[in-house]
Amino acid sequence: MDEGREDKMLSDLFRQKLENAEVIPSPSVGANLMRTVGRREFLRFNPARINIWYVGAVAAAGTALAFILSSSPDLKTEEIQAPAQIEISTGSVLKGTENSLSTALNNVEKKTQTASNERKPEVKNGSEIIVNEKTRSNQSEIREVESTEDRKVNPVPDKDVLAMALPENNKLRGNLRKDSYISASATDGCSPLKISFRCLAVPYDSCTWYFGDGGYSSLRDPIWLFDNAGEYKVTLNVFSSGIKSVSSVIITIHPKPEAKFEISPENAVLPNDEITFRNYSDGAESYKWDFGDGATSELYEPHHSYRKFGNYNVRLIAISEFGCSDSLVIYNTFSTSGNYIEFPNAFIPNANGPSGGYFTPKSDEGSQIFHPVFSGVTSYQLRIFSKMGMLIFESNDVNYGWDGYYKGQLCDPGVYIWKVRGNFMSGEQFTRMGDVTLLKN
Amino acid sequence: MMSDQQIIEGCAKHERRAQQLLYDKYSRFLLGVCLRYATDKAEAEDILQDSFLKIFFNIKDYSGTGSFIGWLRKVAVNTAITHYHKNLKFRYHIEIEEYVSVETGVTSFEEDFFTSDELYKVLNDLPAGYRMVFNLYAVEGYKHKEIAEMLGIDTNTSKSQYSRAKAALRDKLDKLRTLKSSYTSGNE
Repeated sequence: MDEGREDKMLSDLFRQKLENAEVIPSPSVGANLMRTVGRREFLRFNPARINIWYVGAVAAAGTALAFILSSSPDLKTEEIQAPAQIEISTGSVLKGTENSLSTALNNVEKKTQTASNERKPEVKNGSEIIVNEKTRSNQSEIREVESTEDRKVNPVPDKDVLAMALPENNKLRGNLRKDSYISASATDGCSPLKISFRCLAVPYDSCTWYFGDGGYSSLRDPIWLFDNAGEYKVTLNVFSSGIKSVSSVIITIHPKPEAKFEISPENAVLPNDEITFRNYSDGAESYKWDFGDGATSELYEPHHSYRKFGNYNVRLIAISEFGCSDSLVIYNTFSTSGNYIEFPNAFIPNANGPSGGYFTPKSDEGSQIFHPVFSGVTSYQLRIFSKMGMLIFESNDVNYGWDGYYKGQLCDPGVYIWKVRGNFMSGEQFTRMGDVTLLKN
Repeated sequence: MMSDQQIIEGCAKHERRAQQLLYDKYSRFLLGVCLRYATDKAEAEDILQDSFLKIFFNIKDYSGTGSFIGWLRKVAVNTAITHYHKNLKFRYHIEIEEYVSVETGVTSFEEDFFTSDELYKVLNDLPAGYRMVFNLYAVEGYKHKEIAEMLGIDTNTSKSQYSRAKAALRDKLDKLRTLKSSYTSGNE
């Protein structure tokens, strides 16, 4: 072979083999790179990003401005109210008493009304224990307004009428009017229970409610929330021209059951596994299950087989003897459970010759074949590379692993890179990469 | 899957997702390029990372005409050259004899006697100067004059280094061939 031709062949050999050759970078390279990019971009002047910052800053400034503008009316009303209050004190000297007083009162009313209006939504959204206190403080504010109002409307209560409706009468007619002055929206129910009370006494000077759980109210028609189960004696004291009348009612709050369940087996594979629903509910006597696939059950611990894989929301409603209920929903109960694929990080090929890649958990007790443990895998591609990135094994069957041989020859001990791609039964795709150490027996 | 065009536009806007896609798509190819210019894979990966930094921050320089992959390759080659200049003092090389034990047990080569792993290894073991010139001339297809400019050497130096590189490669491949033949025949 003459020199020139051999040279050409040499160059060609390298060009053909290596010009478009691909080598798999170590996984750390990519991560490292993205970190470095992040750091550099942060330090670097970048018009594109600056624009985003500008937009962000303008938006922030805009909202801030809007905030200031929207809150300024409040500031104004406060400013107006302050002089009004001054008017009251000076006005009394200047004979403008009645007008300024009534406007002041109106102001107070409006204030409390808006305050209660504003807080009502919170009552619905917020946690109930906090709500309890808030409503109470609201109520006392409102009471003040109402009492002044009442005094204005009924400046002189009719003593005769009052006397007629007072305790003696109540005691006499106790059987006929059991709850006397008390009207309650409910006398029993499931915890937490909100009850609206009304005081039926007309006219009256003041009334005080004791709810039997330590709470009280001076409102005429309070709303009370009972958090805990039990029997409460609600007492109402009505004062009218110095005469006190006492009425009471028993409120029964039933305990709320707690719905609770677990799924067995924990990592179920649908549709193969029959699911057992373990019931850990408390304080209930009947149960309603909704398995999320249209099927239902009223058993204590039902079993259920799903027809196909899917994201099911399983609901349990637990009902107590008093008809109180609680429900628990587990969303996407089987979405992640059951599908997995895991690879070992080392194996010891059979030194006596290729064993073929097919295995069963039993046959591969000596870890002679590199293969995953898995469940719910529908499609699969495994590729194994040498450290230099050369493909030395490929399998499209999850039950077919690598026996450590390449073209009939046992590979050298060392680290090999594997990459796997595929789909789970759920349709979810997976890609895994890692390395495996080939050990010598 | 995003097209190259979308990825380029995304990278120009410094979108992290586009950068990640670009990396995922081309890192293997570019590492293949880098490895030809490096002593080992670790060094190749250093060059790869620097190349991607250049690509991400200078993607606007890609005119859109001509092949994108060609542009990427050019950036990687230039990065490798910079790297070569920077690390000129720290070069050392390992003899091929050490290398055979690292092989992965490949025996049958009717179609291709040498694997790309082996060719890479042979290149890696060349003295750095030989390797640069050989890669640029034989694989990348630059002229000796261009190579001389890139590496800051004389055109004649480029030519002589190329012929010495070839001699060294031939020598190494011959040794390897003998070794491998004895290996295969011993097994049969």
